[in-house]
Amino acid sequence: MVQEAIISLLQIVIFPGFLFLILAAFFYEWVDRKFVARLQNRYGPLHTGPRGLLQPFADFLKLLSKEDIIPYAADKLLFSAVPIFLLSLPLTALFCIPIINSTALISFEGDLILVIFITTIIVISVFIGAWSSTNRFSTVGGMRACLQMLGYEIPMTIAMAGPAIVAKTLSISKIVQWQTTGLWFILTQPLGFIIVTICFLAELQKIPFDIPKAETEVVAGWLTEFSGKKLALLRLAEDLELVLAGSIMASLYLGGPAGFSFMPPFVWFIIKLTVCILILSNLRALFARFRIDQLMRGVWKYLTPLALLQIILVELIPW
Amino acid sequence: MNSLSKDYQDIIERLKKEIGSENLIGYEIPRPRRIWFSVRKEKLVDAITHLVGKGFVHLSTITGLEDENGLEVIYHLNRKGLEASLKVEVPVKQPVLPTITPIIPGAILYEREVHELLGVVFSGHPNLSLLILPEDWPKGVYPLRKKWTHKEIKKKLSRRT
Amino acid sequence: MSSIIKIPFGPQHPALKEPENFMFKVDGEYVVDVTPRIGYAHRGIEKALEDRTYIQDLYLIERICGICSHAHTTCYTQAVEEALKVDVPPRAKYIRTIVTELERIHNHYFWLGIVAHEIGFETLFMYTWRDREIVMDLLELLSGNRVQYAMNMIGGVRRDITPEISSKIMKGVKVLGERMKYYKKICSDDKTILARSVNVGILKTKDAISLCAVGPTLRASNVKRDVRADDPYAAYDEIPFHVVTYDGCDVASRIATRCDEVIESVEIIRYALEHLPTGSIEVIVSRVVPPAEIISRVEAPRGENLHYLRSNGTDKPSRYKVRSPTLANLTALCKMLIGGYIADIPIVIAGIDPCFCCMDRLTFVDINNDETWGWEGEKLRRYGIKWYKKQ
Repeated sequence: MVQEAIISLLQIVIFPGFLFLILAAFFYEWVDRKFVARLQNRYGPLHTGPRGLLQPFADFLKLLSKEDIIPYAADKLLFSAVPIFLLSLPLTALFCIPIINSTALISFEGDLILVIFITTIIVISVFIGAWSSTNRFSTVGGMRACLQMLGYEIPMTIAMAGPAIVAKTLSISKIVQWQTTGLWFILTQPLGFIIVTICFLAELQKIPFDIPKAETEVVAGWLTEFSGKKLALLRLAEDLELVLAGSIMASLYLGGPAGFSFMPPFVWFIIKLTVCILILSNLRALFARFRIDQLMRGVWKYLTPLALLQIILVELIPW
Repeated sequence: MNSLSKDYQDIIERLKKEIGSENLIGYEIPRPRRIWFSVRKEKLVDAITHLVGKGFVHLSTITGLEDENGLEVIYHLNRKGLEASLKVEVPVKQPVLPTITPIIPGAILYEREVHELLGVVFSGHPNLSLLILPEDWPKGVYPLRKKWTHKEIKKKLSRRT
Repeated sequence: MSSIIKIPFGPQHPALKEPENFMFKVDGEYVVDVTPRIGYAHRGIEKALEDRTYIQDLYLIERICGICSHAHTTCYTQAVEEALKVDVPPRAKYIRTIVTELERIHNHYFWLGIVAHEIGFETLFMYTWRDREIVMDLLELLSGNRVQYAMNMIGGVRRDITPEISSKIMKGVKVLGERMKYYKKICSDDKTILARSVNVGILKTKDAISLCAVGPTLRASNVKRDVRADDPYAAYDEIPFHVVTYDGCDVASRIATRCDEVIESVEIIRYALEHLPTGSIEVIVSRVVPPAEIISRVEAPRGENLHYLRSNGTDKPSRYKVRSPTLANLTALCKMLIGGYIADIPIVIAGIDPCFCCMDRLTFVDINNDETWGWEGEKLRRYGIKWYKKQ
């Protein structure tokens, strides 16, 4: 009894809980930066640690030691609370993702809905952060983030319903378990995978959908006024969001930790996660930024009908 | 070269006819592709309207300067490679010129620039507010006038702060 | 209910690499009106030129602009040489032409990178700026400097082109021309670039002429006007080349115009290197300039550059006026911005290739021969605080 309690505590705190997830966040920030840099014919992080591996961590430490400025006119409580919200939300969602075996730390019927809900709450927190900092650029950035969410959220949710319908469950763990016996959903629902990828690019505010943070238009967007510790936490939160997005893609469409038995499931998960994150990074290097009206038009004109088409196909085709 | 200079003579004759020979104070063709006119300021708008009608549609800039004889404003008009410069003398006591923005909208900033740095007022200009100098620049200090040497400007500014 | 909001853009803004202020009036996402406020990089160069000798002025002119420094000094030396009635040796003229065109290539590569950055295409930005290193290396090889080339002297140029340098330049510009063809293909194919540039920042031909736009901005509005062809200087009367024009009148045409100009420049450099005349590269000139009134025009990478010189028989000019291309394009820029989206502001502003420090030179205070007096940091800070309290 005591032993089980200790093990589950260790699982939550160390592996695959907080410590592992935060380390993964730093690692994948490095992967993201290095990969994009190489695509752009640059070096990327180079000096801190082997091949710059420790650079994200060094950046984090540096930001922690910087001066933390709260704007005079800001709503101080909300402004300070937003980085904590934004850090804890993706962490919570990540507990619902099965990593070391086919059952997640938190698993119940309906956790898929919870995860989708959390991705929405993240955007709302972004908006609150932007609003409470009272900066003009932040406000515009926050508005844009919300507007963007109105666009991508609906096709994303519809597309994610595809695997759930086929597996006849709303639990991510059970969707993963279903895939250990059946086909991976990327093979049966490739359209859904593409839609979810595009929507995650918008969710993560990466090029071509980095409209809320478009440097040349609105400075740093909703991040403008954050500095020091808050900025460090926000950056970590963004990395965690990247991990979350990659994990959701890997779980729903690539079968999560499932794989051939010569490697432990955990390694399979890491491989799939890396692939998903590389897809997200790779797309970033290929495009220019869209305008907000172009994004909305594209999403409503093409993505939403395509997502519906995917659901219809799921209903028509038995597997 | 000969046919060219004939062409230039033609431009000059037509301008003379348009504004009257007594209003065209002088002209000069120092080298190919350059013509200098000197006109009375009363006839400035007429002269520019005429030249614009003759194809000198591009206003390169407006130069303002001060020499011994007073203020002078030069309009650099341009037709392809041919540069026609129109000189107008402006009295220092009452430096007022009519605006040419209705004829050439592109002149709007150049006129503001001359206004700011030399104090020439362009009557009829839509907006002669400060463009280049700081908001609290002392009134009546026109940096390009010879009276305002570096020392004078410095004295004036240091008194202010 | 629609209400009009005022949004300041600059003087400090990440889309602007130099300080300048635009006050926008916006209605929702649309720009209704714009008021530019220039002068933030005002250094008083015109006034300062009057206090210095012609030789000293050359150095000051070089520093009007970091990117088109050679265009400005070419314009200046031409004006002074014409006043002195000196003929520059043909070899010097060719070398000036070569440096001018290398500078144009440098500027357009630089600009393409900035445009890519403004529309968030980081990869293209990285690629163009990497290739820009090639031309900077060539310029360093030729002049010893990467940005302020200081190649021009009154009466000629400072350094000669040896056969080794010539062959290196040939090799370098070949690469640059090919890369630019590739970038041009990207810019005319890529969906995201097209979505951000086609029909953005429209400047109709009629407006371009009446608002006196210059350079590639004007040529992208389908007006064939180029000082190199119309009013040839240096060696341009002997070198065959095309004036590139496009009729799209939008940012996409401006991109295409500049890409083609680079390819054209490569041809000009090749021709000039192959037909480089022999002889000396400089003549000795007098330090005192007889009274004269000269207009000198040069096609800088950004457009027509006009310098006006009035000399008075001493070794200092009586009046020297510089009109850089950005000021000429500013009125046209305001026209382009009105009616567009807020999100298009950066790309439209970048589209004219603005150089605010070129524009802001005019008159003012900071320069003094005998002592530095300007405002020290502390005084400036106190002044700033006071000023803002008043607001």
